[in-house]
Amino acid sequence: MSQLFSHNYNSINIANSFNFSALDDEAKILAWLSPLEPWIRHRDIGAERVDGIGAWLLETREFRRWHDAPREDESNHATLFCDGNPGVGKSYIM
Amino acid sequence: MVLLIGCDNSSLVIDKLCDEAREGDIAVMCFYFDFAARNEQSPVNMLGSLLRQFVSGPGGIPEVVVQDFQKQRKGIGGRGLQVSGILKMFQAIAATKRTFICVDALDECVPEHRVVVLESLRQILQGSPNTRLFMTGRPQVRSEVEKTLDGAVAFRSIQTEDGVVRYLCDKLKNDTTPEAMSSALKAEIMKTIPEMNSETYVEPSAKDKLPWVGG
Repeated sequence: MSQLFSHNYNSINIANSFNFSALDDEAKILAWLSPLEPWIRHRDIGAERVDGIGAWLLETREFRRWHDAPREDESNHATLFCDGNPGVGKSYIM
Repeated sequence: MVLLIGCDNSSLVIDKLCDEAREGDIAVMCFYFDFAARNEQSPVNMLGSLLRQFVSGPGGIPEVVVQDFQKQRKGIGGRGLQVSGILKMFQAIAATKRTFICVDALDECVPEHRVVVLESLRQILQGSPNTRLFMTGRPQVRSEVEKTLDGAVAFRSIQTEDGVVRYLCDKLKNDTTPEAMSSALKAEIMKTIPEMNSETYVEPSAKDKLPWVGG
């Protein structure tokens, strides 16, 4: 990653205000944050998924409380963890 | 509004959240752990990926991120990005926004990375009261999640039957002779088979033949 940026080092005008609106600069910052692209996996899973599978989850009390209730309410959990054995389709409910 | 890239695809929880994000100031991010990609999916890259999705919205990249990027360019060698730096940026920009983080297959994150990731997520939740975390994983990591997140976790078990339904839907949809089966028979199949003992469908000898195994 350092090599990616090192040869462009002098092209940045640091004295200027932080105006990084140019698309190529934004792309460099995004690549610096992470080289990973999880949306590709998301797209692949979406292509395999059958509509309606796991829809029951959205109606459960656990999901509704996690999604709807204000955090200030101490009885509410900020995290919902759905566990299941291999093959039950956990990825498809994401 | 911040939308996850690829939000238009079919999914369940993310789809629902993205629909809501289109109407309000909501950020939705996701990450899929994959054991085969364990070397690339370090805590820095994973957390950086969440932050990357957060700042990819139409509002442009927040100044705090731009400044940190500029600072690392002044340094010599290395990417200059650390977990602590990501958390700092995250909390600077996510403190007030309603934010949803979705993480799949936590069990596929190697244990030494998982400790760091869970602790980092805990810190994000602590510093951003409007953030919600949705995760999936095998039951064996459940206690780890509960311990790190200090009990502030709701649990829901996913049952085998849902995978059976998906498999049946796939098979019926791709039936090469659909005219040979009446709609009544299809309905009966969809009703009866999922009600049978799920062990019928997950015994070891059958697992290799079932396409949903591994999800």
